[in-house]
Amino acid sequence: MTSIRVDTLEPLPGREEPPRRHVPPGRWLRENLFSTWYNSVLTVLFAALLGLLLYRVGRFVFVDGRWEIIERNLRLLLVFRFPDDALWRLWTAMYVLAGTFGLAAGAAATVRRAEVAAGRARPIGGRFLPLRRVAPVVVLAAVLLWLAGSVGATLLVAGAAAVAVLGRLAGTLLPRRYAKWTAVLALVGLAAAFGIVIGLGGVSPRTWGGLLLTIYLAIGGIAISFPLGVLLALGRRSSLPAVRVVCVTYIEIIRGVPLITVLFVGYLIIGFTLPPGTPTPSVVTRAMIGIILFTAAYVAEIVRGGLQSVPRGQYEAAQALGLSPVKTTWLIVLPQALRAVIPAMVGQFISLFKDTSLVFIIGLTELLGVADLITKQREFTAQGLIFETLLFVSLLYWVGSYSMSRESQRLERRLGVGER
Amino acid sequence: MLRVVFQLVFLVLVVGVVLYLYSNVLRNLDRLGIGTSFGFLDESAGFSIANSDFDPSANLFAAILVGVQNTAIVSFAGIALATVIGVIVGVARLSTNWLVRRTAAGYVETLRNVPVLIIILFWYLAVILQLPPIQRAVDWGWLVLSNRGLVVVWLERTGDLAVFLAVLGAGAVLAAAVSVWRTRRFDATGQPHRRLLWAAGVLVAAVVLGFFAGGRPFGLSLPERGELGTEHGFLLSPEYGAILIGLTLYTSSHIAEIVRGSILAVPRGQTEAANALGLSPFARLRYVVLPQATRIMIPPLANQYLNLVKNSSLGVAIAYPEVTRVIRIAIGQQAPAPQSVLVLMLVYLCFSLGISLVTNLVNRRLALRER
Amino acid sequence: MRLLHLKVTLPLSILGLLLAGCIGGSEGNEGQGGQAGGQQGNTLQRVQDRGTLNCGINDAVPGFGVVTPQGEYEGFDIDYCRAVAAAVLGDPNAVEFKPVTTEQRFTALQSGEIDVLIRNTTWTAERDGAEGATFLHTTFYDGQGMMVPADSDYRRLEDMDGTTICVLSGTTTELNLATAFRARNLEHEPLSFEDNETLQQAFQQGRCDGWTSDKSQLAGVRSSWPDNQGGPDALRILDEEFSKEPLGPVVRDGDSPWAQAIDWTVIATIQAEEFGITSENVEQMKGDQNEEIRRLLGEENFDSGLGLPDDFAVQVIQAVGNYGEIYDRNVGADSPLGLERGLNDLYTNGGLHYAPPYR
Repeated sequence: MTSIRVDTLEPLPGREEPPRRHVPPGRWLRENLFSTWYNSVLTVLFAALLGLLLYRVGRFVFVDGRWEIIERNLRLLLVFRFPDDALWRLWTAMYVLAGTFGLAAGAAATVRRAEVAAGRARPIGGRFLPLRRVAPVVVLAAVLLWLAGSVGATLLVAGAAAVAVLGRLAGTLLPRRYAKWTAVLALVGLAAAFGIVIGLGGVSPRTWGGLLLTIYLAIGGIAISFPLGVLLALGRRSSLPAVRVVCVTYIEIIRGVPLITVLFVGYLIIGFTLPPGTPTPSVVTRAMIGIILFTAAYVAEIVRGGLQSVPRGQYEAAQALGLSPVKTTWLIVLPQALRAVIPAMVGQFISLFKDTSLVFIIGLTELLGVADLITKQREFTAQGLIFETLLFVSLLYWVGSYSMSRESQRLERRLGVGER
Repeated sequence: MLRVVFQLVFLVLVVGVVLYLYSNVLRNLDRLGIGTSFGFLDESAGFSIANSDFDPSANLFAAILVGVQNTAIVSFAGIALATVIGVIVGVARLSTNWLVRRTAAGYVETLRNVPVLIIILFWYLAVILQLPPIQRAVDWGWLVLSNRGLVVVWLERTGDLAVFLAVLGAGAVLAAAVSVWRTRRFDATGQPHRRLLWAAGVLVAAVVLGFFAGGRPFGLSLPERGELGTEHGFLLSPEYGAILIGLTLYTSSHIAEIVRGSILAVPRGQTEAANALGLSPFARLRYVVLPQATRIMIPPLANQYLNLVKNSSLGVAIAYPEVTRVIRIAIGQQAPAPQSVLVLMLVYLCFSLGISLVTNLVNRRLALRER
Repeated sequence: MRLLHLKVTLPLSILGLLLAGCIGGSEGNEGQGGQAGGQQGNTLQRVQDRGTLNCGINDAVPGFGVVTPQGEYEGFDIDYCRAVAAAVLGDPNAVEFKPVTTEQRFTALQSGEIDVLIRNTTWTAERDGAEGATFLHTTFYDGQGMMVPADSDYRRLEDMDGTTICVLSGTTTELNLATAFRARNLEHEPLSFEDNETLQQAFQQGRCDGWTSDKSQLAGVRSSWPDNQGGPDALRILDEEFSKEPLGPVVRDGDSPWAQAIDWTVIATIQAEEFGITSENVEQMKGDQNEEIRRLLGEENFDSGLGLPDDFAVQVIQAVGNYGEIYDRNVGADSPLGLERGLNDLYTNGGLHYAPPYR
């Protein structure tokens, strides 16, 4: 199910960029679309295919589609049976996220500008870059709000967007010293958001569903499996044969089986591994454990890749300085390795985000599960509405994955040239 | 000394934890009266499997083997197709034609950002099922296309194959010899070797010779359309088509990114040198860039192949009888769930280890010998 | 930067710890997950101590268990969960619905995660014997049937030699199908789907010639068949029924008090229909002249020793109504499924529902 995405292979931009040229449209067409006869054929062919595809999709979306099922069930799709009187927690969490992420983005931009000014990094991007970055999310939000048709929700979302923008502006004012900790800020915000929803008499994840559950499983899965994965990777490269064998066995077995089966085994067996009499964890927790066990093996492989990318000279230099093996790993190797693996980790997270759809197999209703479940309702049963629900859900998945993969590519380019 | 002690402690800990959990499992299962035997594999399956000669009275193990076979078929076809399409799209992403480049980018970004299950469902529901029903099938005599599948003309055995196979075997040996000869000649004289052309020619001659020498041991099997389906010919079932297309598209979008990255990772000097030698764009790609890129892309490709095999388990959604589907049917009627799932894991583990083995061998062969 | 790894590892670890804490915390609050041991006996006592009933259900079967757009569960099986909660706890809303899949259901029951399984599960000898489960009073008599397009020539199963059949996978449907065709010496090609929606598309487009499933499900699909596909008249359900599917609640083996409590909850709904007690008139009926009615409604000084409150039947009927009301509301005349009563009528009307006397 899960794959290691290769956003990492994006090359560094070449040293000398040609000056930007202003080409008249006619010449641009000739150069880019009709340079040779086979290029012209390709152009015509692709234009026809694209046109047909757009027409069919457009017709379905705007003419034939019966979107009532989505309108009526929007709430189920997003948060499933989340209780009404706790909805404020979700909104608060959203504001916290908007604020901290905005602040983090602003601070990151400051750091970056300083680097560019110091000549240690190169500017990337083009015209309307910020707009292009947020466009998919904005479109998605607009579609959701239009479907919801609720003034309150629109105002609240607009407020959250405003908070994010304010945070972004405030972030640029942060002194550079603190700006370095922006990553921490974003993650603390994330944890705080979860805390607000769950803690202090909040709603326990075992009753979650829809998009909320999808996000919870993906974020929880990647965050908790990270330390495990690092340990496994270090174990795999250990000089102690016993440690190495155990780690390799674990990693290879897990990577050899589909997530479906790991989830299933997790569901059936975790309850039985506890001493008789102890309460069985809830299904959501068991799914989370299955996902963590599974993802840890993939994270381990990613981190191993990072460890291998650290030049031998670094180890040798550390030894020459008389550092102990533990100190060598902690102070010299890991910092360099982990920086190299961030983009691949984002890729892994995206895979996880999509693969959580498999928890339907153990009876949980995440996004895709809800899409199926609502077609069984009294009003909508046997109406053939599966196309509408699938298309809507794909849009959610697509915007999430696409935005994250774009950000990961940016991050990677930055890390490639960044502070060194 | 310290190392040995540490390892011992570590091993004792790991083994201890595993044993503790295992003993808990046994105790719990025992108390709840849940069986742990694998005897169910010997019981009669009781259900039929689509597009196979499987007899419902055969045992469950045989049913699972049919499922394994179906998984293998779709996986290998998928791997081959996804590689070809992935390479094409990956190269297209670097095309000089703006529209081609953007379309390839759109292809990649659309397909790899939605769950593969949705892609498979889309193809099955929105494309393949929309083909004409069997009563109004496209029927060209040698090809019948309907939403009950694509049936094409195929070969059918009419006589003894022994002579034919003997001639074919001899032809294969001869073809190999010819290929070696052409290679040596090329090494000696530098004239174009065209060894593939030569070897293929010899093989074709052997097939023709064998066909007549063996008394025409096989003939054409033309599809015959009936009310309910098509007899004879070679059938590609709609479910197979949908899962194959879905897996191929999804995996090829990932492979395209690997290919693109690998091509870009080939030093620019190589391309420039090829240009300086006056190679055509195609020759440059074929003889200079791709061979070097291949070396870089093998390990990530192996991962994608593994994923494709594992993703084939999503055939459950569209009635393709691969191994997960078969085991789920079995669980639905009598097989105990925990043991059945362990069998399923074992099957996928075997597939994965097999693919790892092959790709590791290829990787070792292709790896740069450092001098 | 020396501190860079801290910037990465520290926050991720914090997040990990926090989330782990969240999980742990939520489990702590919960305190009502099942017991890994699945203690023998006294489920009734434990349910009453806990104050909620854990009911294993299916959340995607039209008429039997679905989630409404408001996020409420509704359906025939759901109503029986509520009835049990009303009987043993006096509150039809004290139910924790736990959707379980086909593979999970018996494990969930054995491990104590659910107290009762009310999820269209067919009563068979092997399940009753080998799965450590006990099947209770049947709430719904179903049978596997075959649906074909009305304009086809198929009138009986015998006409269907060599056809392709779409099967809704999950329980014993594939097995029954194979058995039915083999018994008649017919060939068939099964296409087994995980989900009704996908199957329906395949059937609609003529990928298969017949659709087999429980007759209640087929009738439900038929009555909701879209008008642009010709409406219900475009489909025909063959008369043959090639399996018996008695569906009812399931509990763990070896817990008679709990089994009896659920059995008599079901029986009370059937008895109420026989007596003509409905959710509307239950208050008046308490003063009825008929002694048996008064006994059922807890107005006589009668202790059955079942461990249920005296007025459990009143609670049940007020909450969900009698059997006929439950049936009509979810799957019968008042629902999109529009099923006939058929086998599910009272024995007095030629059906199979016959309540043992409450005395």
